[in-house]
Amino acid sequence: METIHEQIDEFLAADLHGELSTAERDGLHAHLVECAECRQAFQEEKNMHKLLNQTIADKKADHGFEQRMVSRFRDRVPERRGLLGIVANLLRVRAVQLTAVAALLLALAQMGRMITGESATPTRSDITNATVLSELQTDAEKPGARRDFGVLAKTDGRTKGTDMFAQSPLPPAPPPVDTASVNAPKPQTELRSIARPKKAEFKDEKAPTAAANETTEESTATVTGPSANRKLVRNATAELEVVSFDAALQKVTGFAAEEKGYVATTSSEKQANGKLSGEVVVKVLPDNLDRFLQKLRGIGELKNQALTTEDVTKAYFDTESRLKNARLMEQRLIEILKTKSKDVADLLEVEKELGRVRGEIETMQGELKFMDSQVNFATVTITLAEKNMNVPAAFLLKERAQLALYATEVEKTYNDIKALASPKVQITNAQIDRDNTGRVSARLSLLLAPEESEAVIAKVKGMARVENFQVQTERVSQGGDGLGENAKTERDKVELNVTLSHDEQEIALQQTSLRIQTPEVNDKTKQLRAIAEQQNGRIRSSSFSRDPNGREYANVSLRVPMKNYNALMQSLNALGKVENVSVRRDDRPNSQTDEANAPADLTIQVYSQGNIVSEETGIWVTLRRTIGQGAAALMWSARMIGVAIAFLAPWVLAIAGVGWVARRVSRARRAAKQRAEEENGAN
Amino acid sequence: MDSNEHAIHRAAIQGDREAFEMIIHSFSRSLFAIAYGILQNREEAEDVVQDSFVKAWKSRWRVRDPEKFPAWLSTIARHRARDVARRRRPEPLPHDLESTELVDSSSEKETADLDGEVHAALAQLPELHRVALTLRYFEELDYATIERTLGVTNGALRGILGRALGVMRKRLKPALASAT
Repeated sequence: METIHEQIDEFLAADLHGELSTAERDGLHAHLVECAECRQAFQEEKNMHKLLNQTIADKKADHGFEQRMVSRFRDRVPERRGLLGIVANLLRVRAVQLTAVAALLLALAQMGRMITGESATPTRSDITNATVLSELQTDAEKPGARRDFGVLAKTDGRTKGTDMFAQSPLPPAPPPVDTASVNAPKPQTELRSIARPKKAEFKDEKAPTAAANETTEESTATVTGPSANRKLVRNATAELEVVSFDAALQKVTGFAAEEKGYVATTSSEKQANGKLSGEVVVKVLPDNLDRFLQKLRGIGELKNQALTTEDVTKAYFDTESRLKNARLMEQRLIEILKTKSKDVADLLEVEKELGRVRGEIETMQGELKFMDSQVNFATVTITLAEKNMNVPAAFLLKERAQLALYATEVEKTYNDIKALASPKVQITNAQIDRDNTGRVSARLSLLLAPEESEAVIAKVKGMARVENFQVQTERVSQGGDGLGENAKTERDKVELNVTLSHDEQEIALQQTSLRIQTPEVNDKTKQLRAIAEQQNGRIRSSSFSRDPNGREYANVSLRVPMKNYNALMQSLNALGKVENVSVRRDDRPNSQTDEANAPADLTIQVYSQGNIVSEETGIWVTLRRTIGQGAAALMWSARMIGVAIAFLAPWVLAIAGVGWVARRVSRARRAAKQRAEEENGAN
Repeated sequence: MDSNEHAIHRAAIQGDREAFEMIIHSFSRSLFAIAYGILQNREEAEDVVQDSFVKAWKSRWRVRDPEKFPAWLSTIARHRARDVARRRRPEPLPHDLESTELVDSSSEKETADLDGEVHAALAQLPELHRVALTLRYFEELDYATIERTLGVTNGALRGILGRALGVMRKRLKPALASAT
């Protein structure tokens, strides 16, 4: 047992630890019987095992060890509860981490955009447009795509000649290849699918009767150019503005005669303002059409012109060949009638057939004649209109007046205005608003007969103080625009909008503020009220206060008519020392307000001197101010820190990411080294 | 590893505290054995086990495979113990040799101090061997469990333990002779 002897250490240890298989144990014991050296080692190993059990085993963890570990763990890692715990746990999940980082970066980017003032989200259409365009470009750059276009163009060229035979009204010409390629990638394929069936159609058409005919047509068509041998119906429309309709009509007739044409129909119509307009249909030879149209331009101002050409070649030659066939058939039938007439029934049959064929021949001849006439003469439809068609027939003067009034008693004035109603003064809208502060305003709309309007407006103006009056006059032309020299002007009914508001709301013409210093504030304030009443003033608000230093303040604001203002100011001097007078006057140069009754506002503060030491000095005030400033400075710095974080956060994130990767790498390297060391040690 | 254990590991990784405490219960002893094997000091070893669990809890989301949870735990404990050892003895090797020499010389005089001799001999073994020995003699774990805990491959443990015991035996020969 060579291997056991060599690996005796392993075997002995495993034996003592009970980790040998039966076969291995048997092998070991057999070897121990043979080998004295190993027996010695076995004895020593047993002693060693015993010794270790004695010495080491009592160093092992005591009974309460696990429990101690758990409770200490609980102490050191307190359980996080509530939302924070959930968030913390969630953040452990890799997917959530990635999402959070992505969201953070996005938020930063968005913030950056907001700071730099770019639009937050690029418009979607921009993107799609851009991608579509780029796709298109790449598509166009691909050689395959280009080849496709080439094929398209070729098939187009080949089918061009046959198209004319395929359908009598020409289908709209296929759009040029470049535009198709630029518009969208899809039409490409559509175009191709259109082109293919056309070829097939052409082949099908080739098979029946007039095959030879058509091919010759095709060759001649391609060789001699478009106009020869083709049956084209040409139509033109022109719209002209002329000075005189009759003169123009004469000229048109003259031109038609010159170009070997004729005037087919004329029609004319007289407008309300005496101007004529009409339509002339002229037939001219197709070859002269262009020259005719050129001449038309001389008649007047050309507003619009269109020229259409319809190709009836295919239909024409189809009919023609069918006619030829029918004639042959007729000949044959006549021959049958002449020679092979034996049976009466047959005869009748032939006769009947002959009748049908002749009918057909006539129809076809008619068709051909019609087409010939259409082809032989081009139709020009000329619309003629005399200049200044739009000169108005009459004017209407519309007056709209806005009147804003300040009334002391809004409701009364409102009712007074309503009482004006009569057949010539119609109230279309009346409305009075009262809001929860007791303010009243009213709005009325009136329609006045023109002759009554001035009187009514003056009457309404007299009812209250006018704040504003505006009249807007509009001349509305009827039956057209432009200057009508001969048109008469009529006055329409006048629209009057009245706005009524309480005169409390009126902005004072003059605003005065002043202070009166006096030892007895209360008494003087009472006196002030009395004076105000005397001068026809109204107290708008008043207040009284006393501060900790014993100063008393009474604030009174009142309104007097301008005419009483000076008297009031005079009498104020009796109350005490008047100081700090400031006057502000709002002159409204263009308004119709009468100044004597315009309101003037006065804000008067009656106050006493109080204690000498003001509240604005002293240690507490200083302290409070200092603390306040300190807090403000702190807030400012916190804001700056926020800005700094916004700037630095992306960099910190990036650096942290790099650092993390580096640490991972170095750790992996160290672990590998350690493992290698351990393995060396083990061996 | 049975499926129940597997489930517990998974739950612990996902942040289930109860599951993690169960893991502390079942692994603290073997971690202690590992730490003791490296440090040979009970107080320090206990601290290391404690720190290892806290660290494991904080970085549990790094473990992708619950199967490797025990090996990962023991790796943490070993790193931690090594750190502690390094801090304790800045230059472990020369000091080690010196001390063992001292112990050796003293052991000839004081044959009764077997305990110290065993520890001295133990201290000279490679770390992995020491850890394997303590795991075995502390907790009487079977080889398969020790292998899984230490993350060594199948069958290597037998060689490690055999060599460790062999070295110990040869080193402690005189003491052994006197003991028996």
